[in-house]
Amino acid sequence: MAFHWSATLTGGAYTPGTLAKVERETAVGEGTLRAFLHDMLLIRRFEERVEDRFRAGELPGFLHVAIGQEAIAVGVARAMEDDDIFASTHRAHGHTLARGSNPRRVMAELYGKVEGVSHGYGGSMHLYDIEHGNYGANAVIGGGLPAVTGAGLAFKMRNEPRVAVAFFGDGATNIGTFHESLNLAQLWRTKTVFVCENNHWAESTPGWQHSPVWDDMSKRALAFNMRSLKVDGQDVEAVYAAATEALEYARSGQGPVFLDIPTYRMHGHYIGDPQVYRSKEDREAAAFHDPIPRLRERLGLSDEEFEAFDEEAHRVVDDALEFAKNGTDPKPEDALKNVYA
Amino acid sequence: MASEVKLPRLGQGMESGTVTKWLKNEGDAVAKGEPLYEIDTDKVTQEVESDFAGVLLKIALREGEAPVGQTIAFIGEPGEEVAAPPEPEPEPAPQPEKVSDTAVSDTPVAAPPAPATSNGRVKASPLARRLARERGIDIATLRGTGPDGRIVARDVEGAQAAPAAPAAVPSGDIESIPLTNIRKTIARRLTAAWQAPVFQLTVTADMTRANELVARARELNPDVRITVTDLLAKVCAQALMRHRDVNVQYSEDALLRFPNANIGIAVAAPQGLIVPVVRGVERLSLAEVAVARGDIVGRARDNKLTAQDLEDGTFTISNLGMFGIEQFVAVLNPPQAAILAVGATVDTPVARDGAVEIRPLLTLTLTVDHRAVDGAEGADFLRTVKTFVEDPALAL
Amino acid sequence: MPEVTYREAVRDGIAQAMRADDRVFIMGEDIAEMGGSMGVTQGLLDEFGPDRVRNTPISEMAIVGAGIGAAMAGMRPIVEIMYEDFLTLSLEQIVNQAAKHRYMSGGQLTVPLTIRTQGGAGWSPGAQHAQQLEAWLVHVPGLKVAYPSTPEDVRGLLWTAIHDDNPVVLFEHRLLYPVKGEVPEQLEPIPFGRARVVREGTDVTVIAIGPLVHRTLEAAKQAEEDGISVEIVDPRTLQPLDEEMLVASVKKTNRAVVAHEAVTRMGFGAEVTAVLQHQAFDYLDAPIERVGAKFTPLPFAPVMEQYVVPHAEDVLAAIRRTVGK
Repeated sequence: MAFHWSATLTGGAYTPGTLAKVERETAVGEGTLRAFLHDMLLIRRFEERVEDRFRAGELPGFLHVAIGQEAIAVGVARAMEDDDIFASTHRAHGHTLARGSNPRRVMAELYGKVEGVSHGYGGSMHLYDIEHGNYGANAVIGGGLPAVTGAGLAFKMRNEPRVAVAFFGDGATNIGTFHESLNLAQLWRTKTVFVCENNHWAESTPGWQHSPVWDDMSKRALAFNMRSLKVDGQDVEAVYAAATEALEYARSGQGPVFLDIPTYRMHGHYIGDPQVYRSKEDREAAAFHDPIPRLRERLGLSDEEFEAFDEEAHRVVDDALEFAKNGTDPKPEDALKNVYA
Repeated sequence: MASEVKLPRLGQGMESGTVTKWLKNEGDAVAKGEPLYEIDTDKVTQEVESDFAGVLLKIALREGEAPVGQTIAFIGEPGEEVAAPPEPEPEPAPQPEKVSDTAVSDTPVAAPPAPATSNGRVKASPLARRLARERGIDIATLRGTGPDGRIVARDVEGAQAAPAAPAAVPSGDIESIPLTNIRKTIARRLTAAWQAPVFQLTVTADMTRANELVARARELNPDVRITVTDLLAKVCAQALMRHRDVNVQYSEDALLRFPNANIGIAVAAPQGLIVPVVRGVERLSLAEVAVARGDIVGRARDNKLTAQDLEDGTFTISNLGMFGIEQFVAVLNPPQAAILAVGATVDTPVARDGAVEIRPLLTLTLTVDHRAVDGAEGADFLRTVKTFVEDPALAL
Repeated sequence: MPEVTYREAVRDGIAQAMRADDRVFIMGEDIAEMGGSMGVTQGLLDEFGPDRVRNTPISEMAIVGAGIGAAMAGMRPIVEIMYEDFLTLSLEQIVNQAAKHRYMSGGQLTVPLTIRTQGGAGWSPGAQHAQQLEAWLVHVPGLKVAYPSTPEDVRGLLWTAIHDDNPVVLFEHRLLYPVKGEVPEQLEPIPFGRARVVREGTDVTVIAIGPLVHRTLEAAKQAEEDGISVEIVDPRTLQPLDEEMLVASVKKTNRAVVAHEAVTRMGFGAEVTAVLQHQAFDYLDAPIERVGAKFTPLPFAPVMEQYVVPHAEDVLAAIRRTVGK
């Protein structure tokens, strides 16, 4: 199960020459790569701490960590412009942090505090941060996709150079909203990018058991005549390049783009998932494809240099945790607010 | 016989259509499938093709609305008989459902005696229970005329109007009218009041400014009918707050001094004199007093007051001005310590600065229970009332 | 005052809103050239063009969901769901998404979306094209629900719905479309949560919605001949509900009937009944009656359909039961 980076465009008039152009133009500088590492490590350490605190019994609710999928979050988020918006899934911490939400406020939300991004009303699966273009994590599989088509429609109608991005997993490619959203987006050529994080698991159901096209999700896009790009989700540089290309295309108003991004879910579906359904080999393979060591290698960092990054990540997470734990609980009656505008 | 062209049903839910234009004239030849006329439905104007071949013998409906199925034209061979265009069938007048004629009588005595209790529980509507409670009627003694023998409001209302069998009218002119519960209550309470040692004080107040204020208040609050009684209630409330020792109820053991001015308004209701209370008048604006007063007076007249409406009064105003009475002495309303009798406002010549002017004067008479309030206190209070009436701004 | 049909009133409301604000647009199945399955949107394509009057594929989830997204991104979309029964296909988006975005985000988002749909019996539409589902929607915190019964009300409430920052489901009824009524020359927005006294009376209050408002008027005329004075109150919006006016009316008349075309059992009328008995308990001289459809899917054969659906006679019978005549 080894994927190597390749950018394959399908659907529509795309000439092979452009492929090379993508490679050349979007090769990122070292400074940017270091920024990527910073973000990915932040997400990694944040998620590990969240798991730890959940196990300690401090966090209510359901939590799903994005460990192993950081490169996608960072690669796409960094390619987005400030005014672009996105909607995420139940596995939203990575996207949220990658787009710049304050880790203190994200952690505070997990603790249900007023200082949280959703002021304690949403929790892990309903992180919203409008200031950073975060239009909501969604607990319903595929629930956020139609709205992303709609936002992309609004940008098109108003001629704005903005794109709406949807993050979702392979599991979501089977649900009705997925098909209806892609169909409509392509029909009306909305400014939308659909990012499929194909980690080959829909909770406990492996890809081959839930989708006839599990090993090539771009076929889903083909069904709607939509452009797609396939890229290795463990290579943040490649993800960044593909995302840049996709966003540019969508922004131009020519139509939506589907990003087919195979990746690895290194932990369980939710925190506490014993993964009885998953073989040891599969888990080991996932760990093998950890995107962080890969980026570290790409940057050629020494132990000390990497340590420095890691310490910084730990520092931010420690600070966020401290902030969250000392946060303010909402008043019980606050539950009655915000039902209507 | 010629063929009849009938108005077709062109869509789901179409019940009628409007013929707007004929594409053929009488006498023209028509082929089957040829457009014959235009029709307007709710949604669209469209052409309708002919179902028949022949000559358009007669157009029965040139223009206008027709129900689906009505004959609007005739097509056939020249010279064929054309049936007279049928009149649209007159719709049968909707017959009101025949319901069995059960006479509803107001007097429960005549109603079929259905036992209102089942397992010791009295079957009565919530409204009936409340009315019975308020009037001190034992609901178990009533017969119900509602479904299943349920006691309903009219049974309780009737119980008061006609207790037991009407007394036989003795021969001659004298009619004997049995005392209602309300009349008995009034008699009892006012007899007690008459036994209290009272004194009466009278002042006349110049209503010029008061009348202006009421007129202005009416302009500012067009939805509320503000009256002089409202102004007087408000003024008295303010005065009572300054003369707290008048805002009392008398009892054998103690004087109960109230923190709020709860003003009773004497109402001549059809069932008798009744004094519902507006609470906390010192806190209310003039418009609010008017709304509250209008509400309780209305309900008093409709006989819909609750027990709560009659409790906790600390002072009463009785206004007979509308009957033209210039001055009168009101009977105390125990256990309240005082009651104000208000007469009519009369334009009266007065001496002012050596000249004679016509001024609207109102006579106010205060009856005070001497057991609770002394002469000087009472006089002081009444003087304050007069001052406030003559210059309402001072009451603020 | 000009007289227009309910259908024209809806069209006029949409057109005026679209003229006044570029952010308003409408999408739905067959609404463009065809002008909608009920002819409501006729002419709008010609005036506003295909960018703002959009035919959609048959995808109720995406239709509503795209409306949600466009609304969140600053537009004021109107979405037409062809038949009320098809709301069920988009319920996930309405209930899980539209109704909850504001709340779950802690107040960061608004979803100023208007969903228009039509339903109801009449002309043998069959069980899957005839439902009245308002009871499901009023049960969801975060949604507003309106059900206007006259041309003036539908135009005024539609305007308010479009300009409300919350998701609104506005129910129309197919038998109401041709009903004529007077409308003010200038469009007057009608606030939500304000009931209308359709007819004053003293013996019993009938609270009715949609087509039952008109059937109750018929019943009231009949009742009048028997000496029963009927007051009719139309809540017009079901969420928010003008409890104050409904309760005041029942306190005045001491008797109540609640009437809707939807199935009686567990319907919207049950909630109104609960509110009335709670707030006007000591004023009730009779049990509160409910009028609605019988507890069946809607049958096809006209005689059966007529049997299931509530008519003026049913309202009259309920009125009689309350006064015991």
